[in-house]
This record gives sequence, structure tokens and C-alpha cells, in this order.
Amino acid sequence: MTNAREISVEYLARVEGEGSMRVKVVDDKIEDVEFSIFEPPRFFEAFLRGRPYTDAPDITARICGICPIAYQMSSVHAMEDAFDITVDGSLRELRRLIYCGEWIESHVLHVYLLHAPDFLGYESGIHMAADHREVVERGLRLKKAGNDIVSLLGGREIHPINVRVGGFYRTPTKKELQALVPELEWAKDAALETIKWTAGFTFPAADLDFEFVSVCHPDEYPFNEGNIASNKGIDVPVSQFNEFFTEEHVERSNALHSRVRGRGAYHVGPLARYAINFEKLTPLAQRAALDAGLEPVCNNPFKSIVVRSVETLYAIEEALRIIDAYEEPAEPYVPCTPKAGVGHGATEAPRGMLYHQYRLHDDGRIADAQITPPTAQNQLTIESDLRFVLEQHLDLPDPELSWVLEQSIRNYDPCISCATHFLDLTVERV
Amino acid sequence: MGDDAAGPVVIDRLAQRLSPSVALVESVGDATHLLETWRDAGLAVVVDAVVSGRVAGSIHRIDGRQGFPSAWRSASTHLVGLAEAIDLGDAVGVLPGALVIYGIEINRVEPGVGLSAAIDRAVDEVADSIVQMCEAYA
Repeated sequence: MTNAREISVEYLARVEGEGSMRVKVVDDKIEDVEFSIFEPPRFFEAFLRGRPYTDAPDITARICGICPIAYQMSSVHAMEDAFDITVDGSLRELRRLIYCGEWIESHVLHVYLLHAPDFLGYESGIHMAADHREVVERGLRLKKAGNDIVSLLGGREIHPINVRVGGFYRTPTKKELQALVPELEWAKDAALETIKWTAGFTFPAADLDFEFVSVCHPDEYPFNEGNIASNKGIDVPVSQFNEFFTEEHVERSNALHSRVRGRGAYHVGPLARYAINFEKLTPLAQRAALDAGLEPVCNNPFKSIVVRSVETLYAIEEALRIIDAYEEPAEPYVPCTPKAGVGHGATEAPRGMLYHQYRLHDDGRIADAQITPPTAQNQLTIESDLRFVLEQHLDLPDPELSWVLEQSIRNYDPCISCATHFLDLTVERV
Repeated sequence: MGDDAAGPVVIDRLAQRLSPSVALVESVGDATHLLETWRDAGLAVVVDAVVSGRVAGSIHRIDGRQGFPSAWRSASTHLVGLAEAIDLGDAVGVLPGALVIYGIEINRVEPGVGLSAAIDRAVDEVADSIVQMCEAYA
């Protein structure tokens, strides 16, 4: 007699955007695993066409409310690549600083309000807050420390308005930046407490064989600059992204699925950055990671919450370093002259590598755009993880199994609104 | 901004009408900013544009400590906004003593065109209400 189980979650909770999960098991054999995104397509790549290059950071920032800086950074780097200009010195450091702010606010939101409830048995961060008031207050204060960096450098916390091709519209004074220091010093200790807190959670066992992909710079933990590297041999300039990675549309999902050409799924995000760039973390962050029970490479996606906490500490330390060394630049931006061409930018959003490519007319208007967000790149890996979790936990009753399956999706802090935009939509009416 | 500027315009119109002890704060609505802004406040008033299908210029007034309309909640977990600020504030005990929320119904959002007549009237009405409320609270 056939024993069939189907677990279907029509609307995933505690993930950004609209996604669903469906798994089917027949006689203890996994028949089907689907992580589907039904958030409607948003067509950003389409309506960038014809816009001036200067619009790209402001328009793409609207793709996401939690990682707008990532979109702004990938877009300005792509434009600067097309126009052959280099942003260095204090402007380069300010870009790293604003990214620190975004990592802090995004990682902390996910750790405290979206993911920790899974490990502690709570339905939501609000329910958790009732029993763990001081812990949640620590998280809220930490998030605000990140928000304050973005607000100062970006003009406001959500969809910042101060980022432009070449740099910024206005750069801060040394005094304005130094005003952030006392709270960041508190935040450093709070981040260490966060690492210890998350390290104490109980993690399902997993040791998976990922192809990790991230931006890789020879000297620094990556934000804005570097090659694209993997732990399985890829090390190429950003301009070769499409030679090594491909996107395809799967019928049941409104976000494109990405693969390494000739191979398969790959994994971007904190675990990937950590694995490829561990030695570039600060000594304090490295020590905190090892004391938390991590090794320099972590193949357990459930421990991503600890790695995010380590990256939060790194971002705070990096922010303090940048502020301490800051010298006000003579000009807030490097001027550029638009020309026809193609530009590529890959920067590390909190959730992973975000790739932009623009083809430009000779007057700087955008002819074509390609935006490949981290959550789209992780879709196949998420499904692969779901399959693994199913294999390990088939003995669980459906409610418990559903919980751990949803938890494994939340390991990736998916941003579904970011993932759902592609250029071509064919409607066939029969 | 268009009619979605209703909240900031209320602040502009209150600027010369309230005691210096009243803080006027423009916020993008992030929960952490809201919680920090109204921490230790005896009375907090929030004003924003809303779209719920009613006639433009309609004014909603709710007691924020009695619950937040589900129709006004954000669909995104990454946009931790007013609703989440109220829930979190309640959970960790940092809600203000009194929390009044005004929603001004709009149906037009266009950059750079200013307020439509109905919204302009609603803004004045809300500003008058807030002045009376603050005087009564004082």
C-alpha cells in the first residue's frame, strides 16, 4: 500500500516576499521538492532601458528596502567600469562604510527577528520579544547603529539618496562621522554577545558540499571590489560573470534560477564569503568565530546565523577603522564622461553577490540591463538543501518536518522581492 | 512629492504652532527609528498617507495602543515599519503613554506636484487636531 506525504506551505513566513514550498514523499522516497517564488515580476531591467545612467542607483535602490545600498553600489561600479573611472581614497572608504551600515542593519534584522525564533521555538520575533525582552532590545539597538551609518552617508535609512556614479552628492565631515563612534563601540560588544548567543543554539547536523561563490579581493573582506571566486576553482574578473554563470526561467517560479555553467547549483552569501575570505576577517572576528565553534569553512547552512553574527562584528570593526582614518575628500565625487559601452559590477549584498551589467548608448542612456540578485542565485541550492533536510528528517511528523524545512529556507535570509524581476514575459492565450 | 507628502507637510504646518517641548520628527517609518523617537514620550502622534480605498482626503484616527489595522500592514518582513514598531514596542515595554495615529487617505502619488486640494484640507484638519491634543495634554 502506497504511503504518500505531501507538505505544502502556501505562503512562507518570516521571509521577505511571496514564496512557497512543496515537497512530496511516496513510500519514503522523495518524489518532488519545490521552492517557488510567486511574487509578481517587477520588470526593473525593462524600465531601466532608455533612462540616463545617473538614474540607475536611484531606480535600482527601489528593488529592496533592506539592501538598497547593495543595488546602488553594484550599479555605480558597473557604470564606472563602462566609463573607465576609478573611485579611490576616502570616497572608496566611504563606500565600504555605508556598506558596513547596511550589513549591520540587515544581518541583525534577520538574526534577531527572522531566524532566531526558529531556534528558540517561537512563531515570530514579536512572540520571542515577550520572553526575551533584553535580547530583542539589544538587537533593535544594534540595527539602529547600522541604520545611523546609512542615514548619515546615504541621506536616509531606506532608499538612500546620496549615492551617485563617481561617489556621493555630499560627503560627511570628520566630526559627523565621529559622532557615530560611541554607539559603534557599544555595538562591538553587543555583536560579540550576539555571536555567543547564536553559538548556543541547537543546530541540525549538516555537512554539505557547496560550490561557494563570492567577490574576492586580495587584501580585504569583500564589499565592493574584487574578482569573482569560488571554492571550486573559479577566479575571474567580474566582466566574465556570464561566461561562468547562467540564468534560466523555470515555469513554476517568477525568479530566474542560476547555475555554474557545466556544473549546477552554487551558494552565495555569508557562508560563501566566510569560506573564501576567512583570513581577511579582523583578528577579533576570526577569534570570535573559532570560539563560537566554527571552523574557517562552514558547510552547515543552519549555522549561517552564527556566520552572520561574525560578519556583523566585522562590519562594526571595519566601520570604526574607516571613521578613525577618515580624511575629508576634496570633492564628493569623481566626474565622468558617458560613452557607449558595457559595464559590469559585482558587490556583496548582505545576502550574497549581486551582479549588474549595463549596455550604454554614447550619451549614457541605458540600452540594456541585467540584474542578478543573490536570492535568485541561491534558489537551486535552497531546493537542494530542502531535499537533504527531508532525507534526514523523514521520521518527523509533518508539523515538525515543515518547521525544519521552512527553517532551512530561512538559512538563506531570502529576499524574494529582489529575486523577482526579469525581462521577458511571454503570455500565450489559447 | 505628491499627496504622499501628507505626513511631512503636517510637520511643516505644526512648526510654528507648538511648544518647543514638542519634538517634530520626520521619519521614513523604520521601526527602530520610531521606537527610539517615542521612547519615554507621554504622547506620540504619527501621521502618514494611507491607501485603503476610501475617498481621498478621508482621515483615519486610531489609538495605536489598541491594535493596528491589518490592511495597513506592510507585506514585507524586510520593511520593519509602524505596525512592527507597535508590536515590538508592546512586547518590550517601550510604547509611549499614549499613541495616536492619523492616516490621511490619498489616491495620487506623483513626484513634484504638491498636495491636491482634498489632501491639503485634510492636512490642515489633522494639524488643528494635533494642536488641540497637545494643548489638552499639557
